[in-house]
Amino acid sequence: MIHVANLHKTYGRGSGATRALKGVNLHVGESEFIALTGRSGSGKSTLLHILGLLDSPTLGEFTIQGRDMLRLSENERARFRLQEFGYIFQEYSLLPGMTLLENVCVPAIGLGNIGDVKRRAADLLQTVGLGQRLKHHPAEISGGEQQRAAIARALMNRPRILFADEPTASLDLASSRVVLELFTQLHKETGQTIVMVTHEPDDEQYVDRVIRLKDGLVDESAIVSVLAS
Amino acid sequence: MGDIKLAIFLAYKSIFRGNLWTLFLVILVMALSFANLLLTPSIMLGVTDTINRQQVETLYGNIVLDPPMEQYYLTHADEIVQDIAHVPGVAGVAARLDNSALIEYQWVEKSEPSDRGKSGTWPVIGIDPAREAGVTTIQQHIIEGSYLDARDRDSILLGVEIAGGDEADAAEFQTLQGACVGDAVRLTYPNGVQREYTIKGIFRARESHADRTAFVTRGEMASVMGRAVYDDRASQIVVSICNPGTEAHLIDTIESLGFHGVVRSWSEHGEAAGGIVSSFEVVAGLIGGIGLAVAGIVMFIVIYINIIHSRRHIGILRAIGIKRSVIVGSYLTQALFYATTGIVLGGLAFGFGLQTYFLHHPLDLSIGRVSLGLQPATVQNAIIGLVAAAVLAGLVPVLHITRQGIIKAIWGD
Repeated sequence: MIHVANLHKTYGRGSGATRALKGVNLHVGESEFIALTGRSGSGKSTLLHILGLLDSPTLGEFTIQGRDMLRLSENERARFRLQEFGYIFQEYSLLPGMTLLENVCVPAIGLGNIGDVKRRAADLLQTVGLGQRLKHHPAEISGGEQQRAAIARALMNRPRILFADEPTASLDLASSRVVLELFTQLHKETGQTIVMVTHEPDDEQYVDRVIRLKDGLVDESAIVSVLAS
Repeated sequence: MGDIKLAIFLAYKSIFRGNLWTLFLVILVMALSFANLLLTPSIMLGVTDTINRQQVETLYGNIVLDPPMEQYYLTHADEIVQDIAHVPGVAGVAARLDNSALIEYQWVEKSEPSDRGKSGTWPVIGIDPAREAGVTTIQQHIIEGSYLDARDRDSILLGVEIAGGDEADAAEFQTLQGACVGDAVRLTYPNGVQREYTIKGIFRARESHADRTAFVTRGEMASVMGRAVYDDRASQIVVSICNPGTEAHLIDTIESLGFHGVVRSWSEHGEAAGGIVSSFEVVAGLIGGIGLAVAGIVMFIVIYINIIHSRRHIGILRAIGIKRSVIVGSYLTQALFYATTGIVLGGLAFGFGLQTYFLHHPLDLSIGRVSLGLQPATVQNAIIGLVAAAVLAGLVPVLHITRQGIIKAIWGD
């Protein structure tokens, strides 16, 4: 599904340049739930941003289902993100002026769907346990609830791939568990492909495969396959 | 269509579900900027309107008939006055004989004839009192004594800035230092004729030229000039009209009567006075332009800061795949909303607040009572200027942010 070869990313130029990725090779299969881990500065977030079309590599190959992602125009990238991807960010990323229901509706309205958008958004919020909080604003709920609402928003357009950038970093243990169990449930029940960046060793038990990055490269010696329990 | 709906939806949510206090302040700044934009040129226009009105009412009437270039006087003045008086649309006509004189007060107290004493040189105009009252308002501005009578020969009417005293604005040495009604003044005309007059009245028209003018009857002035022909001559004939704004049409009509003279509107006639007004209008234009720039910049800064503050949200919207054009449209809609609301509220505050107040409580300035004058072009320029500023303020930052990388927009690095 996702295929990356010899992927490089360099920030800046000349002597001040920082090489975040130094030739990453990676393949993520359909319906896989993988974790990208590594120490701070290892390049895991940079890799996730490139895979999620939020950033562009300096060099390399990157395809999704055989389609060259590096040849997409700005508008095509936006359309691809809207149609095919869902995102959960590290920090709370809901729009503060909208209710949870409205936040979840935004991606669908962006696709031009007006019809039963509200019903699907309400169902998704019900699924993530926020069925009683449809009319609440982000500031009125906890961080864990905000991340669950962000998951509902990410699922709104039935994405092919879900990207999560340290989704539990700002959460307490109980909220983290709820979020990760939601991912697992989603993965098991719908075969959702999920790529998640995490630095919490405990999170690894939820994924199919752990890919460790070290100094901008995949640490081949540390690829771990686990059975989600 | 879906994109437009989403842009409006995002704008609506951002405006009304954001911080209402911020919304209130932004709109307040917009409204005050717009009201200020109207206020300055309105005051300037009010001042020029007052100056113009004073010139029409106290100096020239609406139309002035001057002698031809090569002559000092209009001949057959009474006949011309009669003919013009019959032109439809003419409210009043009066002939004048212009002169000037050295006016002395308490001259007997001077120790030497060459002492300046209480004296000065001012314009002296011979008028037909009744006809003059049909054109100018000098008669209505008598503050002491009374107006001239047609038969008066030894009486004079002085402007307050000639008489001096507490009512005058001019420095004491520039006046007769307190001449009063009933007092005698001595006039020495350029032709050497010297006459003594009793001050019959003192007027204050609040027009600097008029208030520095003395009036005697036209018969008296003709006798000063020494020849019988001056009885039927005039330095100028002034005309007031029923409907201001119809000067051009009436000038054509008066010209068609075939008089040997030059017919002009009051504004064309008074070159010096007109120059002051046009200079004032240039200053008003400059101040208005600066006001527009300042209001535009204020609006730009307020909207710019508002959008910069939303930078992370713009990044998130882009990250989840919302089109750049939708985001730009959303912030443009917000900017236009702020501008439109500010313009409407500022306009209402100006129209129903400031304008109404000034109508009932005009500024009491030395030139007269000044209320606000507002031209449609001023309002139109202000609206166009502020909307343009709002569009720029909405577009520039959001285009800048949406051209940044998404990661930079969200996390700022």
